[in-house]
Amino acid sequence: MYYIGLVIEYLKNYLKTRLTYRADFWVEVISDLLMQASNLIFIFVVFGHTNSLGGWSEAEVIFVYGFFMIPFGLFTCFVNLWNFSDRYIVKGEMDRILTRPAYNLFQIFLENIDPPGLIGSLIGVVIMIASGSQLGLELVWWHFPIMILFAISATLIYAGIYIALTSLSFYSDSPTGILPLLYNIQNYGRYPVTIYNRTIQFLLTWIIPFAFVGIYPASLFLGRTEMFHMAWLTPVMAIIFATIGLTSWNIGVKKYRGAGS
Amino acid sequence: MNAIEVEHLSKIFKVQKSRAGLKGALQDLFSRQYNEVPAVNDISFSIPSGEICGYIGENGAGKSTTIKMLTGILVPTSGKLNVGGYVPHEEREKFVRNIGVVFGQRSQLWWDIGVIESFGLLRKVYGVPEQDYKRRLDELVQRLDLGDLLSRPVRKLSLGQRMRCELVAALLHNPSIVFLDEPTIGLDIIVKTEIREFLKDMNRQYGTTILLTTHDLQDIEALCSRVIMLDEGRIIYDGGLDTLKTRWGQGTRITFQFGTACPLPKLQALTSDLAVSWTADNDLHAEVLVSSDLNVSDVLAKVVGQPEITITDIKITETTTDEIVRQIYQTGSAQNNASDGQVV
Repeated sequence: MYYIGLVIEYLKNYLKTRLTYRADFWVEVISDLLMQASNLIFIFVVFGHTNSLGGWSEAEVIFVYGFFMIPFGLFTCFVNLWNFSDRYIVKGEMDRILTRPAYNLFQIFLENIDPPGLIGSLIGVVIMIASGSQLGLELVWWHFPIMILFAISATLIYAGIYIALTSLSFYSDSPTGILPLLYNIQNYGRYPVTIYNRTIQFLLTWIIPFAFVGIYPASLFLGRTEMFHMAWLTPVMAIIFATIGLTSWNIGVKKYRGAGS
Repeated sequence: MNAIEVEHLSKIFKVQKSRAGLKGALQDLFSRQYNEVPAVNDISFSIPSGEICGYIGENGAGKSTTIKMLTGILVPTSGKLNVGGYVPHEEREKFVRNIGVVFGQRSQLWWDIGVIESFGLLRKVYGVPEQDYKRRLDELVQRLDLGDLLSRPVRKLSLGQRMRCELVAALLHNPSIVFLDEPTIGLDIIVKTEIREFLKDMNRQYGTTILLTTHDLQDIEALCSRVIMLDEGRIIYDGGLDTLKTRWGQGTRITFQFGTACPLPKLQALTSDLAVSWTADNDLHAEVLVSSDLNVSDVLAKVVGQPEITITDIKITETTTDEIVRQIYQTGSAQNNASDGQVV
């Protein structure tokens, strides 16, 4: 309850500051959307040359993309760690966070909360509905709770990976070259993993499991039985990776050295 | 009861050694060499509840590092810590509810939003009940005269205004222990005085334990009954400010200005039965240092009233804390003059 109250309070303050810079807000929303649109166009271009990608049709791949946008939107909104190293380690704002009585990582999430990201999630839902009806997918009642469960699980996997990597900044002042690399790899998870070679499949499934953020959970709703067992693994992977993320974070905080005087 | 207990506390930082030149940089890439730098080196002290204690030392002496360990920000390398009944870094979230922290060099407030909104947010973070919050805020706003600042965003405040707001932010939840790291840095004399008065009142009214670091010894003189002095990570003095002054103060300095030339040997002869030391720039100007066990008037009686000496001016000055502390910093130790166990 305490933490939910804090989320609301921080959101209120976000609105107060953001409404004074309305132009910023819309620029951010539009640039987000343009980025998503360019990804979609890429899919259209690919399917302009072929009818199937590793046995998956255009509508199916777009459906997967739509699903992916939901956890991605949640992730951008609530787990914004992009400038963590600069702001909290180099400038030493972590000091302030650590003297407040709420879990430190949670405070950092709240201070960097970015609600425009959620618009991406909404559009993801629209894309899923559009491509789903094109495919003639049957909607069953349990799809809804499972969809929510999978979306949250996928967000946690995402968060776990990024938290673990961000916690490296507690050890070194300039480690974050790895994050943009990861940002590129995460795009692979939206396409049917079966099109990649074994090594990349293994990597995307077990090491940096971005396949669990897109293709695996979405396959359940598409009725692709060959991936059902992977789809149901999504919540398990979520627990594992969230745990890895939080553990490495907590170890990292103990190594925090403070900045300057 | 002790509010703060510290036993054999140490913090060692590993600092990477950078080798010189391009070749060195390449070598660093593959094998790094580290230096171990002890920022705080085996210190022990305890502060009873309700005390205001000053924590002083040169830049880099380890003051901030100690404060950061006491507030749970840094994890000590070794040693025992107990602050307000908690081990700070182990039960951080529970522990920080009882403490207030002000870093003079760094803002605790949110830059973009109005001051009052920052306070509201802090109320939620600390879970202070609405009623208590209102009462406390009214009291603090009135005491620190913040009335018309509350609606402004923090970035538009002057340093003095900001610092007063920082104090309110750190005290809204009525902490029993307050840590202030250079709270008066860069402030004008009026704001400084105001903040000192405020801290003193708070200590009297609520029995708040205060530990503050500062470079302004007037803060210490105005507030602290006790002072801990740090040098290179070690405590070199722990005790009352008065003791520091009487033991290391060099006594009183009397400066004479003469109307006609009065050579040094003559003055030394006059006071030959007193253990005082004379210095003179020229024959018209001389200084005598009277240690604290002698009477200033005795020395004056020997010199004043001598028919052949015409005095145009006499100045009597006490050694200030600044001078004492500067001297201790310079020699790097308070031990040189020490005679009893109060010096560590």
